[in-house]
Amino acid sequence: MTTNETILIIDDELQIRRLLEITLTASGYKTILAVNGKDGLVFSATHHPALIILDLGLPDLDGQEVLKKLRDWYRKPIIILSVRSAEEEIIRALDQGASDYLTKPFRTGELLARIRAALRSADGSPEATVLDFGSLTIDLVAHIAKKNQEVLKLTATEFSLLLLLAKNRGRVLTHKYLLREVWGYGYQEQTQYLRVFIAQLRKKIEDNPSRPSLLITESGVGYRFGE
Amino acid sequence: MTKGGNNWKVIRQYVLSAAVIGGVALLCAPLANTRTYHLVSFILLFVVSILSTFLGLGPVLLASTMSALVWNYFFIPPHHTFHIEKADDLLIFGLFFTIALVSGVLSTRVRRQERISREREKRTNALFQLTRELSKAGGMKEVLKVAAAEIRNHFGDEPVFLLQDGNNQLQGDEWSANGQQLTRQEKERGVRVFREGRKSGSGEIQSTTERYTFYPLGGTRISPGVIALKSSPPLTPEQESFREAFLTQVSNALEREFLGEMAQKVRFLDESDRLYKTLFNSISHELRIPIATIMGASDSILNARNSDEIHLALVREIFTASLRLNRLIENLLNISRLESGHFSVRTDWCDINDLVNKVTDELKDELKPFSLEVSVPEDMPLVKIDFGLLEHVLYNLLFNATQYAPGASVIGIRATYQDGRLLLEVRDRGPGFPEHQIREVFKKFFRGDGSRPGGLGLGLSIAKGFVEAHGGAIQVANAPGGGARFILSIPSETPDIFNM
Repeated sequence: MTTNETILIIDDELQIRRLLEITLTASGYKTILAVNGKDGLVFSATHHPALIILDLGLPDLDGQEVLKKLRDWYRKPIIILSVRSAEEEIIRALDQGASDYLTKPFRTGELLARIRAALRSADGSPEATVLDFGSLTIDLVAHIAKKNQEVLKLTATEFSLLLLLAKNRGRVLTHKYLLREVWGYGYQEQTQYLRVFIAQLRKKIEDNPSRPSLLITESGVGYRFGE
Repeated sequence: MTKGGNNWKVIRQYVLSAAVIGGVALLCAPLANTRTYHLVSFILLFVVSILSTFLGLGPVLLASTMSALVWNYFFIPPHHTFHIEKADDLLIFGLFFTIALVSGVLSTRVRRQERISREREKRTNALFQLTRELSKAGGMKEVLKVAAAEIRNHFGDEPVFLLQDGNNQLQGDEWSANGQQLTRQEKERGVRVFREGRKSGSGEIQSTTERYTFYPLGGTRISPGVIALKSSPPLTPEQESFREAFLTQVSNALEREFLGEMAQKVRFLDESDRLYKTLFNSISHELRIPIATIMGASDSILNARNSDEIHLALVREIFTASLRLNRLIENLLNISRLESGHFSVRTDWCDINDLVNKVTDELKDELKPFSLEVSVPEDMPLVKIDFGLLEHVLYNLLFNATQYAPGASVIGIRATYQDGRLLLEVRDRGPGFPEHQIREVFKKFFRGDGSRPGGLGLGLSIAKGFVEAHGGAIQVANAPGGGARFILSIPSETPDIFNM
């Protein structure tokens, strides 16, 4: 794979930087390394990376702070890679515009998948009118979803929820975000709606609803549409 | 000042008794000239005995003497002299005087005795009540509260306590039920009293000019501190000894609490020492094994020419070792979160299917050799729990099962909702637990007799801690037919689905 896209890695741990450099280079990406938040902010402006991998525990600035500063102007994906695993920390980062969040220790395969998903959703190419996920297809024009060529009977809410997740395939979307986008502002805390509709959707679209591969739960944070 | 008040009271009694006798004599004046002047002596005797029921000894003596003289002077002929003509009048006068004196003196004495014994009874009752209340109180704060309330009851004063810190130093803050503050000088006086073991003001220092008088709280083995009471005028010896007895009870109770706390500290130190040793031994073992694997395997990859197959096998070992290390650290972090209390239960609606799927997916490699039976009813409602915490709980229970159950056996997960509680059961067909150890399994660092090497013995105590943080309970039993069966029960509401 020779994508040649540049990825900026902001992480103060030498071993992690080295591991990421080896893994990403092997997958055809170019890497730039920053060892602290200040360098990270500078390099992001000078090198125009296609994606940034950001650690939260930096020696000079707090990662959340760096994220906020980056988001003042940087529109491309930022993936957080941190040992901080508290749900509130993850939700905060996602709310502040992080595209994704992975906790250390991580599996490199998982990281590469997240990078691909983030780059894909950011590439800005005109959207296909049909989203194809193997046995599941979603027709954006006709506003229908098909499972094994059969049209699924989905309520309007079920369809918008499915569509929102599918369009952001591979990215974790927080409960709050999903509730706000599908139900509206007054419903941000009504997570029980989300649980019930996700369970219903799984029964309709998953091959095996008790082993979901499309609608994946991110504990305490939100949902992700599987690849 | 109060002393003056007392004098004034006594003077008032004398005046009262003189006035009453004089008044009665005036009222009886019409009888002076008749032959019924003997009747006056009875009236006066009657008045004296009435007075003696509520006046002190002196005033009663005054009343009896005065009434005898008044009767003699104004009523016994010849009037207006103390001379008595008739022999029988003289006899009656003598009898009158004696009876008035004796009955007056006797009844005041009886009254005093009665008062003393009443007071004694009151004090005995007060001490008894104090002892009873103090023995009911548990913990230092509680004892202080009880002591303060009892002192307020019986001495009408809010006491201030200065307690030692356990090292015989009086350094802490003062304590009182109404938050009185001591000045620095007062605290210094308290410290001096504590050091000398004598109440303040008893020696050269004059206490009446000070706001408080300090009393040492002397225990039998350690002295808990000092108590400050508002300074008062000198007390009678009985009152003083009552106060002393009262404070001794309070001291003893405080000393008991002190010794209790110390003993607990020692126990705690012993316990933590034991824990430290266990932790040290097992962690060094648990850390070294996977590190040894990683070092050995990677060294072999770096320095030996291996076939692809061996190379892959070595890498797989490294990966397994890293998972094991990760699990260890996860458990250590969780137990320290639990121990330090630095975590909160953040409940949210959760689909139990989701929880079970998530955990069985994380453990899919470990579960591969088993036949997994999951049972969640179709109509299982959403429950309000902390997903992250329960994920750890279920993970630990399932992981344990995979470690002990024989291959190809059934591992079961069953969820139900009953009477406002989520019930979650994990059962395996492993060896179960020996009956004598089944109470111990949730203890930290507990390792069963038949434990496989590896593991710190933290998983189940973490599970218990997280479940209890939800206000729930976890139980373990040996399943009929063999194997361990864990049941956790967590109170939870269910959402109002009809509102959607």
